[in-house]
Amino acid sequence: MKKTIKITWISVVLVLMGGIHSCTDLDETVYDTIPADQFGQKPAEINAIIAPIYKTLKNLWPGNFFLLSEQTGDMAITPTRVGGDWWDGGIHMDLKLHTWEARNGLINDSWNAAMSGITTSNQIYATIENAEMDLELKERTLAEIRGIRAFWYYMLIDYFGNAPLVADYTSTDLPTMSSRQQLYDFVVSELNEIKDLLRDDVTSESYGKFTQGAAYTLLAKIYLNAETWAGTPNWEGVIEATDKVMSLDYIIEPNWKTNFEVHNEVSREIILPIAFGKADEGNHLHKRTLHYLDPIALGINVGTWNGVSAQPNYVKQFDDADPRKEGSFLMGPMIDPATGNVLITAHARPLIHTVDFNIIPGTIKEGMWGEVNQEEGARANKWVFEKGLANSDQENDFAIFRLADVYLMKAEALLRLGQNNAEATRLINVIRQRGFGNNSHNYTTATLDDLYLERRLELAWENTNRQDMIRFGRFLNPGYLRPSTSPVHLLLFPIPEAAWETNNNLVQNPGYPAF
Amino acid sequence: MDRKMTIFWKGMLSLSLWILSLGVFAQAITVRGTVKDVNGEPLAGVTVLVQGTTTGTVTDIDGNFVLEGVAAGITLDISYVGMQGQVIPVNGRTTINVVLMDETELLDELVVVGYGEQRRREITGSVTNVTAGNFNQGVTRDAADLLQGKVAGLDISTPSGDVTEGSRIRLRGVSTLQNDQGPFIVIDGVPGGDLQTVAPQDIESISVLKDASSAAIYGSRSAGGVILITTKRGSGLKPRISYDGYLAVSTLANKPDLLTANEWRDYARETGKDTSVYDKYGASTDWFDEIIREGISQNHSLSLSGGGSNNNYRASFNYLDREGVVNDNYLERYNFRFQLQQRAINDRLRIGLTGSAAIGEWNEADNYNFVLAYNMLPVYPVKLENGEWFDTREYDQGNPVRNQTYNKNLKKNVHYYGSGDILFNIMDGLDIKTMLYKERQTEERSQYNHSETQAGRDDGGYALRENKIWDKNLMEWLLDYTTTFGSAGKHRLNALAGYSWEENEYSYTKAANRNFTTDLLGADNLESGQGLRPNDVGSERNMSRLISFFGRAHYSYESRYMLTATLRRDGSSKFGDNNKWGTFPSISVAWGISEEEFLKDIKCINDLKLRVGYGITGNQAGLDPYKTLQLYGTSGTYYDNGSWLTAYKISQNANPDLKWEETAMFNVGLDFYLFNERLNGTLEWYDKRTTDMLYTYRVPTPPYLHPDMMANVGDMKNTGVELALNFNAIQTRNFNWSTSVTLAHNKNEVTSLSDDTYTTSRIMVGDAWVRGGSGRTTHVIEEGYPVGQFYGPEFVRIDNDGKYVFRNKDGEEVNSVTAEDYTYIGSAQPDLTFGWNNQFNYKNWDLSFFFRGSLGNDVLNMGRMTYGHPGYLIGANALDDPLVHQLKVVPEYSSLYVEDASHIRLDNMSLGYTFNTKGIDWLERARVYATGQNLFVITGYKGLDPEVDANRNNGLAPGVEDREYYPKSRTFSLGVSLTF
Repeated sequence: MKKTIKITWISVVLVLMGGIHSCTDLDETVYDTIPADQFGQKPAEINAIIAPIYKTLKNLWPGNFFLLSEQTGDMAITPTRVGGDWWDGGIHMDLKLHTWEARNGLINDSWNAAMSGITTSNQIYATIENAEMDLELKERTLAEIRGIRAFWYYMLIDYFGNAPLVADYTSTDLPTMSSRQQLYDFVVSELNEIKDLLRDDVTSESYGKFTQGAAYTLLAKIYLNAETWAGTPNWEGVIEATDKVMSLDYIIEPNWKTNFEVHNEVSREIILPIAFGKADEGNHLHKRTLHYLDPIALGINVGTWNGVSAQPNYVKQFDDADPRKEGSFLMGPMIDPATGNVLITAHARPLIHTVDFNIIPGTIKEGMWGEVNQEEGARANKWVFEKGLANSDQENDFAIFRLADVYLMKAEALLRLGQNNAEATRLINVIRQRGFGNNSHNYTTATLDDLYLERRLELAWENTNRQDMIRFGRFLNPGYLRPSTSPVHLLLFPIPEAAWETNNNLVQNPGYPAF
Repeated sequence: MDRKMTIFWKGMLSLSLWILSLGVFAQAITVRGTVKDVNGEPLAGVTVLVQGTTTGTVTDIDGNFVLEGVAAGITLDISYVGMQGQVIPVNGRTTINVVLMDETELLDELVVVGYGEQRRREITGSVTNVTAGNFNQGVTRDAADLLQGKVAGLDISTPSGDVTEGSRIRLRGVSTLQNDQGPFIVIDGVPGGDLQTVAPQDIESISVLKDASSAAIYGSRSAGGVILITTKRGSGLKPRISYDGYLAVSTLANKPDLLTANEWRDYARETGKDTSVYDKYGASTDWFDEIIREGISQNHSLSLSGGGSNNNYRASFNYLDREGVVNDNYLERYNFRFQLQQRAINDRLRIGLTGSAAIGEWNEADNYNFVLAYNMLPVYPVKLENGEWFDTREYDQGNPVRNQTYNKNLKKNVHYYGSGDILFNIMDGLDIKTMLYKERQTEERSQYNHSETQAGRDDGGYALRENKIWDKNLMEWLLDYTTTFGSAGKHRLNALAGYSWEENEYSYTKAANRNFTTDLLGADNLESGQGLRPNDVGSERNMSRLISFFGRAHYSYESRYMLTATLRRDGSSKFGDNNKWGTFPSISVAWGISEEEFLKDIKCINDLKLRVGYGITGNQAGLDPYKTLQLYGTSGTYYDNGSWLTAYKISQNANPDLKWEETAMFNVGLDFYLFNERLNGTLEWYDKRTTDMLYTYRVPTPPYLHPDMMANVGDMKNTGVELALNFNAIQTRNFNWSTSVTLAHNKNEVTSLSDDTYTTSRIMVGDAWVRGGSGRTTHVIEEGYPVGQFYGPEFVRIDNDGKYVFRNKDGEEVNSVTAEDYTYIGSAQPDLTFGWNNQFNYKNWDLSFFFRGSLGNDVLNMGRMTYGHPGYLIGANALDDPLVHQLKVVPEYSSLYVEDASHIRLDNMSLGYTFNTKGIDWLERARVYATGQNLFVITGYKGLDPEVDANRNNGLAPGVEDREYYPKSRTFSLGVSLTF
């Protein structure tokens, strides 16, 4: 009897003691996400971890930087439509009229896109550095990450000039500003260090990655703008870099449209793409540019937003014989396939995409900016609309860098140096002939102006407009709806106010009101 | 021989005398009498029973009773509801007159408080108790509908007319910036319950713990106050069957005033526009009328209860079928509940079992159909002459009736739980109780958008199936000790100690597809879709755990001086590693002033009590599980050698310091019962300080990976006054009138948004999106201002060019302003909220009407901003509003649209007749009633309804009537309730 009582008590105490821990146990079992220390050792997992750096590129185009580039130049415009669509407090007007300020939402989003790209690269670099993997693969992977990071710094140099330089994920200090020159030197040194560690093949395995071709093209871009960004030109550097790219397996695709097809991942002209898919965050330029009723005429099923169009003078510089004109711009009447008649808009007007805009009297907001009718403006037609598209983004990839641009860069460098005009003309003619489809429009001797024109004919909508205009000294000139010259400080965008609010170390760019 | 005979005859005499005396007492007599109350009024319906038998009678209308043929030695048992009963031995008397005293029932009422019950006299915190007799009548969906306007400081608002949407409940102002869930719900002692699981007919009483000293025992979830719901129990006295049923009709209360077909044609003629493109159908359609219907609702409620000397039980069934006024909006719900309790071991052991199941099905309204109804032209028909549906692809246009007819968004919900509790009386005054509880809720969603309707045409038909499961396991231990000591039990002590372990798990799956060849399968054959995307399939799962230790001590001296102290220690797995456990103390004292000598003689003061309390409560509703950890989550897909693979990324900035929000409240209250409890009420003042408010702060990238981080940083303050008054104005035999008023004033202020690490002076929130006006915010959260502070341009007038004229920061009138010129243009917080109830009783009739309202709150009329301008005429419709003729620019957010929404609403009016069932022995009670709800609103607000969704934007931008607002309805119901 006594023994059983004793045993009972001991077991009760033991149970209680064992239970005591569980009665205050608050450990979490994580189900649908992975604690950071349990992931990232196997090769497939490592590939999946690197992927987000390429995803940051999606913030480049067709939002954010696309608008900052094409709309501040003379290529594109998002006008305010009758009734007020796209007025949005004037952010698009400010880009066209050069009246933007530090609170502009598009500038803020672009800055954040770049910063997010840099921080993601830093974080993943720190993870891969500590990962256990094949040494050669590790070196190449780390080089890829640095390449993407260098690309985002290139964007910052071009648009904002001055920005914080952060290359280390573990530091938690609030970063301070670095100058344009410092960022320039950093990018050059980074690219030179990694360029030979990257893969140089042009295959479906290398597509979408930061390859040797991408590194050299980026280097060429940096050197091309050396005069604007670092004070001293470096045209020779451009020639050296572009020669290296042209020695790789990239080709000028015989069909210009191959670069813009739905499945343009087969193009071997594309050097660095934003690889869009339908699943998450694809190519949504069709939504930005098409009128609400255009899908009926084009055979796609998508709700569109009737926004961005081309500026009239840009369209008019195209020769009517140039297939690239219609290949870039959607113009003219939009026909309903069921009836054969022109579609009618909500304002009882025929849906004809005119090239010109007519500012409706009495609707002036500021300066010469006023409301226009819904249907006016040539729309973006470059990336092929996928027939039968069902309510999604498109998967046409966007070529950040492609070989045609490389050709034109080399031609420009040669022309600037006054060297080898024959080679420069040949390069321009390759592009021109491919664009026109015949050689009747080739140049015998090309000039810098011809080169400038060819860039604009070839690269409409492709994020080169502002950079080219600045380099050629035309950005500040009066333009469409903007009758006077712009002040010099507008060559740089202001540091966004929201960025300074979280980091008081940032200093505003010259010419803008200080923080 | 003579001596023997004397003894015999003496014996015989005693015996016969004794027999005679027996006879005297056994003699049947008739006892008569009158029963009156203290005022001399005769009382009818008083039960007069012969004790120990079932013989008895009831007094008649003059208070008289007659008992014939009863023995002279009986004892009478006299009882009457609301009066103190009496036991009177007859002792042979034939006339007995009785005076019954009132029971001071209100003060001795047992009120449910946290983890127990207390007599109202003894309560030291701020607790308001509402019993079934005072609940709102008519169509009620859940406990919140019953309480609307009844408790001072408890603000229950109906966000819209959607019958599937629950009410928004707030107690004493907003006290968090993140996911404000309102008060913590406790159902029959089980924390964290869902109001939907209890049918209103099953509720006995609701206690609201308003201040921290009463709520702190619930620890880190009680900062918003606590609502305790007690369901009806069976009683061992009398078995009972109750039936309650009603039929109701709902109609739309208020419709926007859009241009009619002729008004539109007139406008087109005035502006010289060509209408032939649009007006070719000869139609005249009121699109709102087309999407609205009369909603018929019904409710049936059946309950059985009873018991014996050792047990009691109650079982109930409730069926609610509620149709909203929008065509496809409805809610259908079955509630089952049973409860049984049994005692054993000399009544020392009590075991209870409770089971409840709520099975519901509902279809939410697709609010985008309202946008379509606003925009579609009145000259478009719903169907063409050949019977085909009319439709258009224009922006924000499409056929909403077609949407409603073919599309569905059905949710099926099952919510069931079972609990068992064991109470054992270890020794005198010491109880130990344990409760085990298991709950599961599942919700299945089936959505299908037909390929030809506006909602589904871009996808070619879209189908979605979702499944959610919530599981809760709870175990609770309580030790309860009560004792009295001192002479005559003057000192009373009650102590409570408890432990609670709770685990919650949530799991979610979804599958969707699109681009179907035929719409006939709906969402029931997902395989047949042709447009499957990688993120169409998904699942989630998470868990959290809460462990608590708590205790309370209550001391009372003669109900004159009382003290209560509570302490709770909560640990949650959701808190960061550095702050896993929190402590929540409270203390309150009360002084029963009326028990003092100097007041004891003043007859008109029945009870006067002063209460002072202070406590600290917490709030963790803003924290999701795993928020504090560094985790990899999926981050879209990436392209690799021809295929799309899943990418992984660190999904959040980890913050191991994350913890609960803390609210400290200081409360002073005065309870008074005067004039024999005919006038009673409570006056309270409180000061509520919230610290460590959770909010998502912007952080710089670099060095952080994500641009925001959730952190405990800010502070908020709420101070206020509440008054609740109840007056039984007229109390006569045939006619009663009682009136009660609740008034509450709360001042809310954000006192800090920054600390050393995270700083922000001002957060712009809210979305003033109109076509062409994106990127504007409507509210500001700023130190020194309340939540719900509107911030924007100050409107002056519209000039002759049709442009807005604003006032800029220098006081000048200009046509356009920038962010520097914005100012504070209104507040969504009311100055005063009130409720006023009147109850009349005349013989068997009863009439009640109830007003509620608020003063001083503003609402942003986005309906007027979005549709009150001519910008898209004539291709889209617009409101019949003067602005349509004046305005010539894009609408812009300004003080023009922030309107005063002070209002008073006749929320409930009810007329009932109770049948006289005294003659029928099998029917205890029968009543019929007619109720009208939301009968009218008096307000200057121009929009659809001055009471809007307080939860909009997570509660950060309240007081906005959206452009797709579901208008409220007016309901009339007829009901009957029977008790057998």
